[in-house]
Amino acid sequence: MSDTGPIRPIRSLTIMLTLPAALVTTWWFISAGSQNFYFPPLQTILQTFLKVWLSPEALQNVIPSINRFFVGYLAAALLGLTVGIPIGASRHVRNLLEPMLEFFRAIPPPVLIPMLILFTGVGDEMKTLVIVFGCIWPVLLNTVAGVRALDEVLAEVVLSYRLSGFARLWYFVLPGASPQIFTGLRQSLSIGIILMVVSEMFAASNGIGFALVQYQRTFAIPEMWAGVIFLGIIGIMLSLIFRAFEAWILGWYHGLRRSQREN
Amino acid sequence: MPAMLEVRRLRKVYEDASRTVEAIRDISFSLAQGELVCIVGPSGAGKTTLLKCIAGLLAPSSGSVILEGQTVAGPPPAMAVVFQEYSRSLFPWMTVHDNVALPLKHKKMKVTRREELVRNALSAVDLAGLDTAYPWQLSGGMQQRVAIARAVAYEPHVLLMDEPFAAVDAQTRADLEDLIRLLWHRLRMTVLFVTHDIDESVYLGQRVLVMSHAPAVVMEDVSIDLPDDRTQLETRSMVRFGELRKHIYSQIQRAKQGWRPPGM
Repeated sequence: MSDTGPIRPIRSLTIMLTLPAALVTTWWFISAGSQNFYFPPLQTILQTFLKVWLSPEALQNVIPSINRFFVGYLAAALLGLTVGIPIGASRHVRNLLEPMLEFFRAIPPPVLIPMLILFTGVGDEMKTLVIVFGCIWPVLLNTVAGVRALDEVLAEVVLSYRLSGFARLWYFVLPGASPQIFTGLRQSLSIGIILMVVSEMFAASNGIGFALVQYQRTFAIPEMWAGVIFLGIIGIMLSLIFRAFEAWILGWYHGLRRSQREN
Repeated sequence: MPAMLEVRRLRKVYEDASRTVEAIRDISFSLAQGELVCIVGPSGAGKTTLLKCIAGLLAPSSGSVILEGQTVAGPPPAMAVVFQEYSRSLFPWMTVHDNVALPLKHKKMKVTRREELVRNALSAVDLAGLDTAYPWQLSGGMQQRVAIARAVAYEPHVLLMDEPFAAVDAQTRADLEDLIRLLWHRLRMTVLFVTHDIDESVYLGQRVLVMSHAPAVVMEDVSIDLPDDRTQLETRSMVRFGELRKHIYSQIQRAKQGWRPPGM
């Protein structure tokens, strides 16, 4: 243990930010004074960004998007868990369902959009369903794997102390599978953001994806670039929130892994 | 006196599509209330299978296990098991306190009573003050102490232990053996202790059941006539200890060579 105190986080933060800073600087100077209509100077893009995306009007697009994302993501997480746990717990159910689940997972969710428009119209339901359909698979399949890999000795402890039903689920199955479940949740997070934007590009009247397409069609190029940057920032923020949540829930797991590495 | 725990003509055969394995042929014995009995046998003798049948974790193929007059058909509330793999038998996502308290949450009792049991159990195994630690922050011996505390706090009438000290170092092992004798004296539990270590079985037990090679039967029920007050240094250097050890050792050697009691 050579790295101690506050030096380590500061150093790792510096390393983390070096390359992005270098790339942005390069972009800034190369694009400065650019006359190319499609590649405006970064300065212009950032000015537009402040004007367009940090304005009250932007909320009319941002709030519906984020809303649909959260509803879809949480529904997928909940469904993935409820369906994944019984599948993981029983070998017979697993053998029966796994090939089918793999098939569904292989379908790229955006291809469902035309179909879902037919069934559910062009409203929020369609867009939320697309997000659910894309996000559910990583959660579901990882939950199955996690429940399947629960420790046999611990399962006997649970049995011998007569823990069953909800207690078994809450104190044993869920925490035991949680490292795998979080792997699924993390994968679903980026899928969810992608589908949030894509679903708004088809038949929509608001949303970040809708705004991007509008800008592109009206040749509002700096606005379009600014939107791309804005989406990137949303992605980073969601991922930071997710990591904080994970660190809180899986603190024991990271500690356990550290202690196994040291021995 | 009626038996606390009785094993009657227990037989266990593992069967699947391709083969059948007879792990236990015919085992009968009983434990009186408050007895400490060790089961010793060569590795692969089916000791763990026997213990799981007694604990209600495995259904016997025939015969029965009777605890306080009731036939065991699933883990009984008056029994607790300490497993060999301490690192896998504690919940790594729970603190030491919560590991010990969890089984008590489903016994109807007041929170104050539960906390008292947890506190007493942890101090009985010398882990007071480590409530908020996680199991993986502790040494192997300490983890097994947590598992013992959890079993003790559950207030079982019969405590089953499946080679609980097989994976700890010799010094820790001696300490844990003394801890078991101490807890047994203090709490007046009935203890069934499975081990492959002959010295351990003689040092701990009032009786030692010697198991044959698989398919298992009881070869001999050896009464350990050592003084009740046992210490690692003195008891282990007694002439009688050596004799008992030698006797059981030769029985195990015979078991390994395939000798079985007549008719078994």
